Amino acid sequence: MNDDANFNAALAAATCALLGASVPVHAADEEAQRWSFDTSLLYYGESDSRVQDISAAVAAQRDFGDDRKLSLNLTADTLTGASASGATSLDRAQTFTSPSGKATYSTSAGKVPLDDTFKDTRFALNGSWTQPLARLYTVSGGLGFSTEYDYTHLGANASLARDFNKRNTTLSFGVAYSQDDIKPVGGAPVPLSQMLDVGDLRNKRNDDTKNVLDLLFGVTQVVGRNTVVRVNYSYSDSSGYLNDPYKLLSVVDPITGDTIGRVAAGGQGPNGVYLYENRPDSRTKQGIYAEMKHAFGAPVLQLSYRFMTDDWGIDSSTLETRLRWPVGADNFIEPQLRYYTQSEADFYRSSLVAGQRLPQYASADFRLGKFDAVTVGVKFGHRTTSGNEWSARLEYYQQSGDVPGDQIIDRQAGREQYPDLNAVIAQFGYRFGL
Amino acid sequence: MKYLLAAAALLILSGCSSIGVQPWERDVLARPEMSLDANALDAAIDDHIYFSKEASSGGRGFGGGGCGCN
Repeated sequence: MNDDANFNAALAAATCALLGASVPVHAADEEAQRWSFDTSLLYYGESDSRVQDISAAVAAQRDFGDDRKLSLNLTADTLTGASASGATSLDRAQTFTSPSGKATYSTSAGKVPLDDTFKDTRFALNGSWTQPLARLYTVSGGLGFSTEYDYTHLGANASLARDFNKRNTTLSFGVAYSQDDIKPVGGAPVPLSQMLDVGDLRNKRNDDTKNVLDLLFGVTQVVGRNTVVRVNYSYSDSSGYLNDPYKLLSVVDPITGDTIGRVAAGGQGPNGVYLYENRPDSRTKQGIYAEMKHAFGAPVLQLSYRFMTDDWGIDSSTLETRLRWPVGADNFIEPQLRYYTQSEADFYRSSLVAGQRLPQYASADFRLGKFDAVTVGVKFGHRTTSGNEWSARLEYYQQSGDVPGDQIIDRQAGREQYPDLNAVIAQFGYRFGL
Repeated sequence: MKYLLAAAALLILSGCSSIGVQPWERDVLARPEMSLDANALDAAIDDHIYFSKEASSGGRGFGGGGCGCN
């Protein structure tokens, strides 16, 4: 045995000497068995002191050689600021009971009501393992966990890919399942029940759960020496508690469009009639995502388009492009542009009309309304002499929406109905190996 | 559905068999920035932002997990 090993080593040394190379196997092993890290610090800030988020993320990858890889991703977010509640603006100040049911918050006349009691810290950890299964197959499996004050997510996923045509074509199939627990601050409100005075928790219920099943079929195709294309079909089925427990609808006068007034006991409660939203307890989404990368010599163009449709009546299109342009040998600049548009959910209502029969489902959440969004940004990257890379990205995100004309009643027309959103995204990244 | 998927897969495979490159023509495709997952962390961050601000999400791959995102 020992002789065999010695003989093999001698043979390897002799072969290497003949080829004029140093012992290559060990060098390659050392190269492969390294950790690589991708880190990022992000600031996301909306105008008008709405949501502010500072987020730190670390993605670590350990290469065990032979295409076996372990990936770990840790993210921490701290969120503060105000979020649009769904209630309509008015010519008078509005008072609401906070989600906890212990205090009130107010919105001045003419302003879109924002709930400013919003504060959260989120931690997310994802891990996955990828390895070849047979000569042309790759399998991967992962687990994910995230936690917030009022929300816990637990998920698992698995995928299988097979290469064809000299590895120019890859077909893949993936499945993911998650179970989320929702523990709304102050309890989950009874759907379409009225906001009550401070201390009155009769319409608040217990925690709830949500399950999501995702399926993904993908084709990746090398089209030419400079071009690669990917097309995915995705299917997603959510069931359980899909409401946003903090979103409201104003109940308005059918003639004037003003919110129906109300006098709170001792002044500690809402001064108008507001109902908590109700969404269906299931949602099925389907999507097609197509992506292309093409190298024009050194610059690389990335272009993607996504179409999604769901049984809530929301269709969306997303077009995104990036152009990575090398500047000198060690730098690149990458302009980025994204356009998004969506139609409103069937049950989107900017407000509910007093005296009319309540619909089965209703939400005034602006994210379920009709809007367009544009993101314009630029990323700059620099490779250091040691081979690491730092980057800085600055983006501007703008949403502008419309309330359907037939939902606007009289005086509402003169007021801001859809709170347009402007946000700055600044990100600093550093990639290094150990 | 099963047959439809099988037929689609077959069509893609037969259609794709004539396009592509030889193994020694992969110099450009091997550049790190040509990988479709070259900026996985940026993509995960973007997905998380848009997930919390828009009604549609996902489609590219499996995202980094759920969120209350109010």
